[in-house]
Amino acid sequence: MFELLREGAPLFFNLSALALTIFGVVAGLVIGVLPGLGPLMGIVLMLPVAFHLPPIAGMGMLIAIYVGGSAGGSISAILLRIPGTPLAAATLFDGYPLAQKGRSQDAIGLSITASALGGLISGLILLFFSPILAAFALRFAPPEYAAMALLGLLTIAIVSEGSAIKGLIAGGFGLVLATVGTDEFTNAYRFTFGNFNLTSGPNLVAVVVGLFALSELFFQIEKGDFLARPQIQKLKTSFRALRLILRHKFNLVRSALVGTFFGAIPGAGGDISAFISYAVAKRMARPNERYGEGEEGGVVATEAANNGTCGGALIPSLSLGIPGDASTAVLLGALFLLGFFPGPELFRYNPDVAGGIFIAYLMSNVVMLILGIVLVPFFGAVLKVPKAWLLPAVLLLSTMGVYALQNSVFNLWVMLFFGVLGYTMRKAHYPLSPIIIGMILGPVLENNFRRALLLSRDGPMIFVERPISAAILGIVAVMLVYVVWTTVRPAMAEPDKAA
Amino acid sequence: MARLKSHAWDVVAWVFFAAVPLVIFYQAATNLAEQGVASGGPLENAAVFPRIIAWILAGLAVVNILRILMGLVTAPSPLSTTPTTRLALTATLLFVVYLVALPYVGYHLLTPVLLTILMRLLGLGWIASIVAALGFSLGVAAVFEGLLNVVLPVGFAEIAVFG
Repeated sequence: MFELLREGAPLFFNLSALALTIFGVVAGLVIGVLPGLGPLMGIVLMLPVAFHLPPIAGMGMLIAIYVGGSAGGSISAILLRIPGTPLAAATLFDGYPLAQKGRSQDAIGLSITASALGGLISGLILLFFSPILAAFALRFAPPEYAAMALLGLLTIAIVSEGSAIKGLIAGGFGLVLATVGTDEFTNAYRFTFGNFNLTSGPNLVAVVVGLFALSELFFQIEKGDFLARPQIQKLKTSFRALRLILRHKFNLVRSALVGTFFGAIPGAGGDISAFISYAVAKRMARPNERYGEGEEGGVVATEAANNGTCGGALIPSLSLGIPGDASTAVLLGALFLLGFFPGPELFRYNPDVAGGIFIAYLMSNVVMLILGIVLVPFFGAVLKVPKAWLLPAVLLLSTMGVYALQNSVFNLWVMLFFGVLGYTMRKAHYPLSPIIIGMILGPVLENNFRRALLLSRDGPMIFVERPISAAILGIVAVMLVYVVWTTVRPAMAEPDKAA
Repeated sequence: MARLKSHAWDVVAWVFFAAVPLVIFYQAATNLAEQGVASGGPLENAAVFPRIIAWILAGLAVVNILRILMGLVTAPSPLSTTPTTRLALTATLLFVVYLVALPYVGYHLLTPVLLTILMRLLGLGWIASIVAALGFSLGVAAVFEGLLNVVLPVGFAEIAVFG
């Protein structure tokens, strides 16, 4: 555990990596504060920049955005009753009423402090469990990898918002996208339609930016209110929350553990963990604590949990190469494109990189604890920036970021295509994340599937003859039964509708 | 018919996703077969995995259209508009024109124009739009051209301010 930190320290502790981590935390908080945007959007916007940086500096910046973005949404939830991100939805319950009592300063301070400390607790768990899980995964051969990739994709497709069928369609489409380009085994061109720009497949970043950023811009324009400036209470820097949070230490640790646990389950996400953590805190509250009416503990529970989810989501991502949510999927994509393969190989062959990523995650939370509180007045000012300024800036940054990946206008057309597709899918209530997870897990699944068949003397039986692979596929089977049940049951329950 | 109207976006998405397996089957039977990689063992058969996914997607597409037709998709998705939908479409069209013209006109001439028009459409005044558009364009160029050594599209005038 400490060996990894020792190896990663030289990669992280230099001026550029530290400066980019600070930048990432502030940028993440700003993006999280702005309603409609969120950590994923922040990572997506800065992804192209990260590819021009040294690996740990680039990954450090993206992870810092992930951490800051996951916490920033609470500020607008507390001040405006509009969660900046879905992660902060549960913070509304007590954050906004607390602000209405004239304690917005305390509410924001507590949310930032709980987020940072929750993130640090989950970081320690990440540090402890990831190497253990990675060491276990060293026993994996192609059948296990293929089964694991299938399980990861299926979990996210099923748990994502919307119906499981739509999640599965999106995940399947992601797998199809992953097959576009040159086949690794035969060097044949698949589904390139004679276009040489597609010989390496559609660029992952262009797809991500299109699906998430471009479609969001379209939605934001449709919402209107381009010049609106909300009225916000005057804010100043105060470290009082560091003292206040000591009253909630058990709540903090418990909520961080709940967040970490749910983060480690692919697809569960920070919003789910925040709601569950809030429910647990409410149930365990003292008689004089009135949750829902501006209770400090409510803010601590939700924020410690949703930032605890970040560390939790990084556990399967780094140790198994199975992303925990859409943001970690994009982080994994960044790691791939920077030349490193998440999973046991990362810990075996690049322990310095794994250690550097851990340090980046822990340091991001430390930086957030300080800067998140110091910059509170600045975040209040950010909330007053009208959309008429923000939307063109986001469009420009997305466009040039995607162009800069390969100096390619073709990638911009790919981005536009996926922007339109993303808009259509969101209108039709399809989840977008499974597409990205499918694109990332596609090569892992296909290559190991074909390798396993090559190794096998009984064809596909190899997948059930090996105990670990069989166990994973057993879980897959249970999940598929669940999908069939949830799809068929409404039809049986409402025969009049079905008629 | 009313059900299709109330789930119009679902139908649009369904048409797209239902077409994907058809394209895969067609490509496997034509292009991949011509390359000699559509049959054989797991190593030489580049079509085996896409075909499996295509069958699964086709099955899911059938289930999904049945759910739409039987009224089991609870969340409606009509082709409704807002007062600013037309503005969003105009912005998209502008962006398409921008992408077409970008290689010929270049980043430094075209981007301020696009941003100025967009900001005007979003309600900012002329002066604010022009100043902000120039500021954003130069700021982004300074990061990409100046710091990251990216060659932004130079166009016919071959302009690279920070390169």
